[in-house]
Amino acid sequence: MANSDTRFLYTDDDGNLCIVIPADNTDLTLNQIKDKDCPSGKTVYIVDKSAIPTDRSFRNAWTYTE
Amino acid sequence: MALEKTGQSFKTMAITINGNGTLTGVSVGGLPDGIVDTDMLAANAVATAKIADDAITDAKQNLSGTAKAWVNFAAGDASIRDNFNVSSVTDHGTGDYTVNFSSALADNDYAWFVSAGRGGNQGVIIAVQDTTDMTSSAFRLTTRNTSNNKEDFTHVCAGFFR
Repeated sequence: MANSDTRFLYTDDDGNLCIVIPADNTDLTLNQIKDKDCPSGKTVYIVDKSAIPTDRSFRNAWTYTE
Repeated sequence: MALEKTGQSFKTMAITINGNGTLTGVSVGGLPDGIVDTDMLAANAVATAKIADDAITDAKQNLSGTAKAWVNFAAGDASIRDNFNVSSVTDHGTGDYTVNFSSALADNDYAWFVSAGRGGNQGVIIAVQDTTDMTSSAFRLTTRNTSNNKEDFTHVCAGFFR
């Protein structure tokens, strides 16, 4: 499975849902990317990219619940 | 000169020592590993095919005047088309992204170039929100329309030079 098939989700201090899109063209593993690019102290969810809505009309209102 | 037994077989060959101390006729491949120091190699003797990929990447990143990182991504879903030295792109919301570098740059005094487009003759503004958004490990940018409202664009390209 390619790195780009995965998304990391976390909520920032302003309440915005942030979506981290890993690159395929990198030597880093998914875990290394998660540890480096997601802030420590935040709950990070790992989801398949298919879980992300394609309609971004209300992108800034998105939240995530398991 | 004494030859030490290493478990390797030696072919019969002519070894010549001339008057100035130069030894010829010895195959490097027939000697134990590590016997050839870097300063013993002739100029241009090592082709890039013989260098590990990591060493080439390190050389690119340490070479002044080249892009230390670049990325081409679709702002809609931030899917990364291709990149160099980028580990991920963070989508913070409409028109709001962070480019995360795989290997940190030397410092945050790098030059950055960002462009964006969405087809047609529609304008675009690229903005850096705050100086704290330019770090050696990441770069945060926003893409905005000509009314200064954040908006997603189909193509966002960013290059970073140091």
